[in-house]
Amino acid sequence: MKISYLIKNITSLLVIFTIPGFITLSANSKADRVLRVGAIPDQNPEKLNRLYSLLSSKLSTKLNVPVKYIPVTNYSAAVSAFRTGDLDLVWFGGLTGVQARLQKPGAKVLAQRDIDTKFYSIFIINTKSGLKPINDIAGLKSLKGRRFTFGSESSTSGRLMPQYFLEKSGVNIKDFKGSLAGFSGSHDATIALVQSGSYEAGALNGQVWESNLKDGRVNKSKVKVMWKTPTYFDYHWLAQPNLDIKYGNGFTNKLRDSLIKLDRKTDKDKAILELFGANKFVPANANQYKSIEEIGRKIGKIK
Amino acid sequence: MQRYNITSPIVSLLPALAFLPCFGLMIAGFHWGGLEIIGLFISSSIQPSLDKAVIGSAFAGMKITIYIAFLSWIISSSIGIIFGIASSSITLEVFKSPKWFIKFIRIVLAIPRSIHEILWGLILLQFLGLSSWVAILAIVIPYSSLIARVISNQLDTLDPSSITSLIRAGVNPLSTLITGILPKTIPILKTYLGYRLECALRGATLLGVFGLGGIGTELQLTMRSLQFREMWTSLWILIISIMILEQITKKIRNWPPSKSKKNVIIQISLIFLISALMTQSAFKALDINLLTPINFYSVPIPKASEWIQATQELNLPKLIVETLILTFLASGIAIGIPPLMIMLYPKQSWIKIQIIVWTFFRIIPPPLWALLFLLCTTPSIGLAALSLGIHHLGVMGKLLKEKLEMQERDKFIAIKSIGADLRPSWLYGTFSAVSPSYLAYAAYRTDVLLRETAVVGIVGGSGLGWELIESISSFNWSKISILILVYSCITIIGEFLSDYCRNQLIFKKI
Repeated sequence: MKISYLIKNITSLLVIFTIPGFITLSANSKADRVLRVGAIPDQNPEKLNRLYSLLSSKLSTKLNVPVKYIPVTNYSAAVSAFRTGDLDLVWFGGLTGVQARLQKPGAKVLAQRDIDTKFYSIFIINTKSGLKPINDIAGLKSLKGRRFTFGSESSTSGRLMPQYFLEKSGVNIKDFKGSLAGFSGSHDATIALVQSGSYEAGALNGQVWESNLKDGRVNKSKVKVMWKTPTYFDYHWLAQPNLDIKYGNGFTNKLRDSLIKLDRKTDKDKAILELFGANKFVPANANQYKSIEEIGRKIGKIK
Repeated sequence: MQRYNITSPIVSLLPALAFLPCFGLMIAGFHWGGLEIIGLFISSSIQPSLDKAVIGSAFAGMKITIYIAFLSWIISSSIGIIFGIASSSITLEVFKSPKWFIKFIRIVLAIPRSIHEILWGLILLQFLGLSSWVAILAIVIPYSSLIARVISNQLDTLDPSSITSLIRAGVNPLSTLITGILPKTIPILKTYLGYRLECALRGATLLGVFGLGGIGTELQLTMRSLQFREMWTSLWILIISIMILEQITKKIRNWPPSKSKKNVIIQISLIFLISALMTQSAFKALDINLLTPINFYSVPIPKASEWIQATQELNLPKLIVETLILTFLASGIAIGIPPLMIMLYPKQSWIKIQIIVWTFFRIIPPPLWALLFLLCTTPSIGLAALSLGIHHLGVMGKLLKEKLEMQERDKFIAIKSIGADLRPSWLYGTFSAVSPSYLAYAAYRTDVLLRETAVVGIVGGSGLGWELIESISSFNWSKISILILVYSCITIIGEFLSDYCRNQLIFKKI
């Protein structure tokens, strides 16, 4: 009898407290009109949050749709979320953008920063390693037998392009010490690990290197530039193919325009552009990333 | 003719030997280059960023992690209990199921837990998109099967005579199940499920490190950009949360405190009320709507030729050997060091210090340990093993402490009073009683470590784990499926071996 009393008690409590919850939850199911913006992560969260709340409110007023920033902190997660349609507009790197487009045919390349048209990677070396700065690609051969680190495994400037230039000069991953290369996980970590001496050399995003130099976060007595790579196209905004259907004709173009029209002369726009490290956004197209795709296939990052 | 007897307290200490090669490798590659950054990391601990935005986003992250942990814990516990009872030999005896059936069920149940929650997370993400269910299911799938295993193992160690007498007396199987078996699971559940909640919290944090949101994401982003003061804001919030959680699980273990039936009912109702409210706010915070169906997105299925090509490209034997070495070294550190550390000076004050150190060890996820170590030594398999080992050392240490607390001190005092030294008296007086169960648990930990090599493979750039992460980021489905299959197989084999070892320990040594 006591058990039945207990069971009664519990069930009634459960019913009383959970059912209304489910009902209210299903009632406030969100509108489908929200534009969901995502980005691959390469900055600290505080900066990311500031950056995207600024951008979201800007886009929201320009386009007259609610905009929501959805944080995705892993390169391949961002690609998958684009494929499944969970993100409408994503700030991709060169390689991840190509991966995303191949998985979502029809996706539109909208814009890139002015600096993305001539982006480059930097090879850095620890000053105690005995490695010397080089003038041309053939000099990369001196990295054979050294401890070398890339950044994140999906990074265009921290992995794909450096590996491409290394292979072009005849250095394979197997030629590094221990027959493998490290993956520090981020550009900042690459600087820290080469500066500490754990790795003798590494490669990273040129823009991140410059901004670290400017902020005085690099100890010049411990780490220096070995080589600046030739330029290539990198980061870009990628939009879902169906935005015009979802938000009305011409929406995709309006979206591109609002990005391109961000102007350093107004304070709010300036803040956004500064956080992106850009002077302005310029129109971009898929053809610019053909060579990234080829290199991706060669290195095995694209099937 | 006297045979030298290796007793289990000694056996528990032996794995600590794995520390030597790892430590050796770390010393060989040691340098002062990262001192500045390590110093910054340490000094930041007492001056975490108090910026409003940073604290706000860390709190928001912690909330998400707690909700994910809580929901996945509730769901996996319920599923685990059902399957645990269903797969125990006692239950099968009650229902007179054939013997092959129990074997079959156990093998099927071994599959979900043979894959680490991180990998489940990364795989589910491909199929379900950015849904909060990804993180929850990633924990629920392996944990349900882990809980089922522990429960059925524990049930099997019970004395079956009372059950068989019930059956002989003609009680029907279902009533036998409810009156004879269910009550016996309660003491197991009280200690084990509380522990599982903590595991779920660590799991949810780690999922965040791999990009699935919550406090782990904050940790990962701040660590990667080397913003240590901001990182410590998140770490302190995590540490405080874990401490509160420990107090709660302690309460659950000692429950019920009062004997009065009426109070028990009130308390049960209260617990349900709290869980119901938690569930409701969790759904709200995670933006989960039970009435919207989960979308399923398929991925291209590779052709046979692609699978063959992928197998040729992967150097599987080498990858497997690397993974096993990593597991071996990491488990050695995790299992052997805690008792060794206590034995050095078995006094309460020292043990208390250890407990704080262990808490700190298990709060920092392995990938972050790896980056910290990397700042002061060159990359090696020893470094990967130590990063993984040190995190689990924290877990094993806590377990050891709990087991020791349950021990009576009589034997220790007895041995000490004959004039033995402090250390041997602790070893043979206190530790010897808990060492068989400590080792039995260590066997489980080894399985966990084998699965978790996936998360630090990235450091050494070696082993199956690294290859898998690389394949996922290349969307190479043929390689992904082969690697998961191999991972699964070696974990299942490892599990059968550790089951065998545990049975040897529990049934033969006593």
